[in-house]
Amino acid sequence: MIMDKKPTEANVKLWKGIAIFAGIFSFVICFLIIANYVQINRIDPVNVQTINALVQRLHENPGDSLLREQIRELDLLARKAYFTTQWQIRTGGYMLIAGVALFVMALQVIIAARRKYPVVSSQLTESYLFNQKNARKWIAIGGIAMVAIALVLAFITHNELENNLLLALNPQSNQEPVPENKMSLKIPDDAVSGSMVGNPTETEVPDLKNKSQDTNDNQNSAIDTFVKNRQTEQNPQGATPDNKKAATSETNKIASVEDLRKNFPSFRGPGGLGIAYQKDIPTSWDGASGQNILWKTKIPLSGFNSPIIWDDKIFLTGADSKKKEVYCIDRNSGKILWTTVVNNIPGSPDTSPKVTDDTGHAAPGMATDGQQVYAVFSDGDVIALDMNGVRVWAKNLGIPKNHYGYASSLITCNDKLIIQYDQGNGAKVMALSSNTGDELWSTPRKVKISWASPVLASVKGQTEIILVADPLVAGYDPETGAERWTIKGVTGEVGPSAAFSDGIVFVTNEYSKLLAIKPGEKTEKLWESDEYLSDVPSPVATADLLFLATSYGLVACYDTKTGNKYWEHEFDNGSYSSPMIAENKVYLLDKTGVMHIFKAEKEFEAVGDPALGEKSVCTPAFSNGRIFLRTQNNLFCIGS
Amino acid sequence: MKKFSVLFLLFFILYFLPGTSYAQRFPKPEFDSGHVQPPTLTPAPRAEFLAWFDVLVLIGSLSAASWFVIKKRSRKGVFWVSLFALAYFGFYREGCICPVGSVQNVVLAMFHPAYIIPATVVIFFSLPILFTLFFGRTFCAGVCPLGAIQDIVLFKPVKLKPWVQTALGLIPYIYLGLAILYAATATDFVICRYDPFVGFFRFDATFNMLFLGGIFLLVSLFIGRPYCRFLCPYGVLLNLTSRISRKHIAITPTECIQCRLCEDSCPFGAIELPSPVKPAEKRETSVRRFILLVIIIPPLVLAGGFAGSMLHENLASVHPKVRLAKQLLIPSKEVTEDIKVNIDAFKTSGKTVNELYAEVDGILKVFYVGGWLLGGFLGLVFGLTLANLSKFKYQPDYIPDKGTCLSCARCVDYCPVKPENPA
Repeated sequence: MIMDKKPTEANVKLWKGIAIFAGIFSFVICFLIIANYVQINRIDPVNVQTINALVQRLHENPGDSLLREQIRELDLLARKAYFTTQWQIRTGGYMLIAGVALFVMALQVIIAARRKYPVVSSQLTESYLFNQKNARKWIAIGGIAMVAIALVLAFITHNELENNLLLALNPQSNQEPVPENKMSLKIPDDAVSGSMVGNPTETEVPDLKNKSQDTNDNQNSAIDTFVKNRQTEQNPQGATPDNKKAATSETNKIASVEDLRKNFPSFRGPGGLGIAYQKDIPTSWDGASGQNILWKTKIPLSGFNSPIIWDDKIFLTGADSKKKEVYCIDRNSGKILWTTVVNNIPGSPDTSPKVTDDTGHAAPGMATDGQQVYAVFSDGDVIALDMNGVRVWAKNLGIPKNHYGYASSLITCNDKLIIQYDQGNGAKVMALSSNTGDELWSTPRKVKISWASPVLASVKGQTEIILVADPLVAGYDPETGAERWTIKGVTGEVGPSAAFSDGIVFVTNEYSKLLAIKPGEKTEKLWESDEYLSDVPSPVATADLLFLATSYGLVACYDTKTGNKYWEHEFDNGSYSSPMIAENKVYLLDKTGVMHIFKAEKEFEAVGDPALGEKSVCTPAFSNGRIFLRTQNNLFCIGS
Repeated sequence: MKKFSVLFLLFFILYFLPGTSYAQRFPKPEFDSGHVQPPTLTPAPRAEFLAWFDVLVLIGSLSAASWFVIKKRSRKGVFWVSLFALAYFGFYREGCICPVGSVQNVVLAMFHPAYIIPATVVIFFSLPILFTLFFGRTFCAGVCPLGAIQDIVLFKPVKLKPWVQTALGLIPYIYLGLAILYAATATDFVICRYDPFVGFFRFDATFNMLFLGGIFLLVSLFIGRPYCRFLCPYGVLLNLTSRISRKHIAITPTECIQCRLCEDSCPFGAIELPSPVKPAEKRETSVRRFILLVIIIPPLVLAGGFAGSMLHENLASVHPKVRLAKQLLIPSKEVTEDIKVNIDAFKTSGKTVNELYAEVDGILKVFYVGGWLLGGFLGLVFGLTLANLSKFKYQPDYIPDKGTCLSCARCVDYCPVKPENPA
């Protein structure tokens, strides 16, 4: 080419002009494409705020056909705009290629025109020896660096994945024996759930004396023991030597067993066990027609916490990134009796932590002991109000490091507020004084972030707080916070709380296992299954049957002692709400707002599938003759 | 020149005009009313005879390029063939199938009998190697679209120091080793995934890949064919084959007269300069060094193998199943859409987590062995390169380095010696 005829000066000028024009053209097109690309990335055509707001209105007024049309038109416009922008980018791309090609061609012509004949350089080239030496040096350095980097990387990761795989595939070999000094409980003479035979293998079933036939017996015994412990100053069950004294005398009046059963004091009912003691619970209603919908109340700020009930008052919280509120709603009329704004708490952060949309700032359920109500929020603010909404105390626990948002519900025990605070910046379980909010005890835990909630259960006659997280399931003394037992077995991002029945703890998590654990001096796994696992809904158990619901629609029923599966049933839609048992029926609310009611029996028998007409992820609360369901924006009361 | 310019312009206008009138469609919305969406229809695969047509075009292009390089010694001819290849194999065929990526198909077929490699892919892999065996790297010169796109933007070539070139010239071996490892374990086709230019050919790529391609093209303005010389894994095979090629382009058509006019003609630094009659160091020194470097080859192989085996978990993290298991066992705080989709897909697969974990355990064991082999191979390459850099070979003429010369025929125009005017 160098010997070819060179372009004339006039041609070169022309090509220079073309090069400048093509260069500017390409630059402008490139800039426009990038601007369009940025714009297209910002807008999601299926998630436009205006349309979302209109859709919400349509859900409230499903018969509004004009609104429906308006939504369709706006949606079509949004999609057209999106794809027009895409077309613009594509066309711009072609134009850019054309401009660049022209630019390149012009430059080639100009360079060809300017090419000079070769001239022998007077500079001496570097000697081949120098080049060889340098090449050897840099290749040696490069090789050593590569080996060093490989070894450092290998050291840093430390076979992390392989170790975790080993743990997951062989959990038995990693079971941590509970130290003796933590297990010095004496088995009480009147142990309510029968004798505990320590079995070495997980497949043997322990002998049980006085096996309860009543569905709720085991839950009753747990509540009985729990209340007994609350009402006496001494522990009558033969407590560990290092147990602290029970409830102090200056506490408020502690609710009796009957009070707890009559009400719905925490997430999943008394003790958080998923059993409701109320009667005459409705089994049919229809949100669309309003049949058996007694009232519906709009909740000012949304939240995913489930309602709690005491007497004629229902309590909820709602929050967004700027505001936190506690609501009290009249059980009979649905009227909001009071709203307390949660603010001015010492140590409360100025800005709320980042949470995901499906967790929000008010995910944890409230708790009540009949004297006060307690609430906690995503930023670590915890507050106690009296039953009229007057603030008693408030404090900040520190912003929980939680990539979805803090979600563990509260529960009360004696005069203590129990908080499961398994967060990225130091996991722990703690008890605050109900009266003052002072920290009574705090037990650090070696676990990862958990979204499960504490459960109160009677283990060998002793009330225990049972917590689930990755990798431990553990039981704690509510008086002292001492760890009574622990066992490894659950991994992943734990959402479901434990179930308990007849001395057996049931835990599950998706991509992990469903485990039945026998806590005691030698805590052991009775059985396990990995067929159906739950990532959100907590399981619930009666004396004989364990019910597991999943977020993909499958529900299974197992024998609590053997793990034998009695039945499985698939519903069209999954649930985030936890199943509740009331009057020997399981109430399972799916994500679309349909309540699947079936008998708590060894054979699947559907009772009804009433539809609310609104989506819901919250667990229902019960009072006599009533069910209370929370949706995104409303609280429904169902009853005849 | 004028004619050429007009033709060029016409070609581009005609090529791009249809692209501006694509029909607009948007996807079906999600219905709550119970409307059943009709099944998605997938387009029919490309006709098989067209794949054979591509083979014919490849043969034709390789033949033309070889003829222009060896027989005609015409840079112009090579340039036009490379433009055609850029248009056909690059923009029309969108960079696929290409011989560079076909290495992976061949490796996958070798290690996974369930994968039936099409005959056309085998031909795409072997034909350029065959032509290289006879004529040198004429594939690189005029047929590879990746090389062509870099070539046409080379405006102001800057010569790299020879030792820099030699050192950087080892990177393709690393890339080849990784590509073979990942293809053999059916993990990924990394050569295709990280092809910096395919986004331009398809007018579609992620922002990162387009950015990377842009960087490569920017670098190509000054440094000739950076991808070809310092990354292309297929180039390793062509390099080794070209060293024993039957024919190869020579700068001079007859005898070199050491006029030095061609010294700066190669933008790729592929011309071997004449070596001095007397070497600048004692023979004993160089022999001793050579023997030492040969002796350390086995320890280098072992060290490399050990380092590679230690890195097996990191290497395996590219495997989608390993990534999924890692996310399930060691959940990351940032849950991206990609992770959510993979987990949802796993949920619907019906597999249990234990099955997944058992599979991943097996994959890690394979990568452990693969790590040893990869590291050992790289240790061998480094060792042999070091040993080779101690050799002295006397040669009086300006000749192309048979391994690194891309046979682009730029140098031939610099040589004043003509066949009809012997020195």
